[in-house]
Amino acid sequence: MEPIITLKNVSKEFKVLNRHEGLKGSVKDLFSRDYKIIKAVNDISMEIMPGEICGYLGPNGAGKSTTIKMMTGVLEPTAGEIIVNGRVPYKNRTENAQNIGVVFGQRSQLWWSLPLIESFKLLKDIYQIEDKQYKDMMELYESLVDIKSLYSKPVRQMSLGQRTLSDILAAFLHNPGVVFLDEPTIGLDVSMKSKIRDLIKALNHEKNTTVILTTHDMGDVDALCKRIVIIDKGVMLYDNSIENLKSFFGAYRTMRLRFTKDASELTEEALKKQAEELSANLLQKYPQVKSLSVSVDEDWIDVLLNEDEIPLMKVMHHIQETKRIYDVQLKEISTESVIKKIYDKDIK
Amino acid sequence: MNQTLKKRGLRFYASIYFKIIAQDFKSKMSYRADFIISTLGMIMTNISGFIAFYIMFQNFETINGWNYYEMLFLYGFSLIALTPMQCLFDNNWNLRYKVYEGDFIKYCFRPINIFFYFISEVFDVKGLGQLLMGSLTLAYAWNKLSLPFTVGTAVLLVLALITGSLFMIAIMNLAAATCFWIINSGYVMVTMFKFTEYAKYPVTIYQGIFRVLFTFVIPIAFVAYYPSYIFLRSGVPILTCMSPLFGIFFFWVSYKVWMLGASKYAGTGN
Repeated sequence: MEPIITLKNVSKEFKVLNRHEGLKGSVKDLFSRDYKIIKAVNDISMEIMPGEICGYLGPNGAGKSTTIKMMTGVLEPTAGEIIVNGRVPYKNRTENAQNIGVVFGQRSQLWWSLPLIESFKLLKDIYQIEDKQYKDMMELYESLVDIKSLYSKPVRQMSLGQRTLSDILAAFLHNPGVVFLDEPTIGLDVSMKSKIRDLIKALNHEKNTTVILTTHDMGDVDALCKRIVIIDKGVMLYDNSIENLKSFFGAYRTMRLRFTKDASELTEEALKKQAEELSANLLQKYPQVKSLSVSVDEDWIDVLLNEDEIPLMKVMHHIQETKRIYDVQLKEISTESVIKKIYDKDIK
Repeated sequence: MNQTLKKRGLRFYASIYFKIIAQDFKSKMSYRADFIISTLGMIMTNISGFIAFYIMFQNFETINGWNYYEMLFLYGFSLIALTPMQCLFDNNWNLRYKVYEGDFIKYCFRPINIFFYFISEVFDVKGLGQLLMGSLTLAYAWNKLSLPFTVGTAVLLVLALITGSLFMIAIMNLAAATCFWIINSGYVMVTMFKFTEYAKYPVTIYQGIFRVLFTFVIPIAFVAYYPSYIFLRSGVPILTCMSPLFGIFFFWVSYKVWMLGASKYAGTGN
């Protein structure tokens, strides 16, 4: 099978003026030719197969948006080659736009004042969707979500969740080969998040649409992606399946602890203070163990460690000697912690 | 997936445009109070402008050889020529916000012309009040000046009005497009819009540098003065004859600059 998206040694550089301080500096800037080059994306290569849902992850400012903009044809890469749907995206923006769908969380692309169904009809005209295909798609939508009740509602009157839902449906309407979803679940409540995830999954399954998903929500990743690509500072850190990533961290365990009887009464600061104390304590006791880290998750204190380095029971024993443990849970490493470990470059 | 597409030509765009306008108009009508108040506001603004104009002529018989009714002609003419910019190209006023806040990027993802997509989004109904004011004023002046009304003059009038509108739209396109390059482009837009106030007066009242400025740099003299010259004076100047061509050319340049800015635009990150 041919990949639907190919990136070959893609880089993007931006020229940024070196700004000087103060009023004198701003005058200087007016005439300055003193540019510095910022590499937003640095030599990235990947291939994505039709029908894949690929999570594209990275901390803020990692270069995710820049990559997406290049794949959608808005930006031209400084070096390297991009092929999407068999086309070079930036060379023919309109032709490329015909075959992709894009959703930016919190930025609706629908006509603000029009009822939803009118927006859909306009998209039908703009993308020149055939009657039959349009009808089939609408039937599919109606079978997946309760969208009929929204048809007559202008987009401006919709809740964020309804708007995101509508935007996703609009992006799939012309049955594009690739859909780019940029933080689709941002700002949504738990039930809406799961509704959106189910919808994306179903559409991907029904239409075999390739989905590129950027998100900071590991729930999205767990629910949707088999494969993830992680970049930071423009450099690719990881490109493989989630399973592989987790097995990489197979010996990692999370020990969740509570040091007070009723943890819900504890303020966040107090909990953080407890965690800091524990962290200092463990650091002193096991300075050579690199994998050990302490964090706060809701009203639990999480201790993450690699059992190949140090047995979990030994650490627990040590903690128990200094502090009374009221409650304990043991867990495998979560996707969230795995990703965080990669961001923090704890492990290469 | 890759169906063969019809070429997206003029008919395609016209059909989409009218659908958007019709829908937008419908939804505007559902906010009736807003519509009535903003239309009234527009009419009030125009009436107050007219009163100032009237008072001025209580003190002067003529301005630079132009009498009251001729000036009224220019006044009405410029109001009508302003209307297409006001009604159809009003979204230019929002351009800078969309660019600075990164919302502009959404216009890059549809397989249609970016300028068209952006401009078609807003139809400003209140400009219609101005059209009404302008038409009444022009008809009144036309009548008082006992100008002949034939098929020939009607066609000329339409042509002249389109010419004036093209200049008006092009000036504002260029002013709006500055936001792709500079941060404080709001001032440019407001300043340009203020300049269009001067379009109501014969350019001959401006001297020296201002005359050159208003003819060739910020060509507001072409919004009303040169196109309507043909109805009010004999011995048509060359600039009047050329004005439709200039208008088309100037609009084309403004469109190209706007699009150049849009293609430069990369949007801010999230």
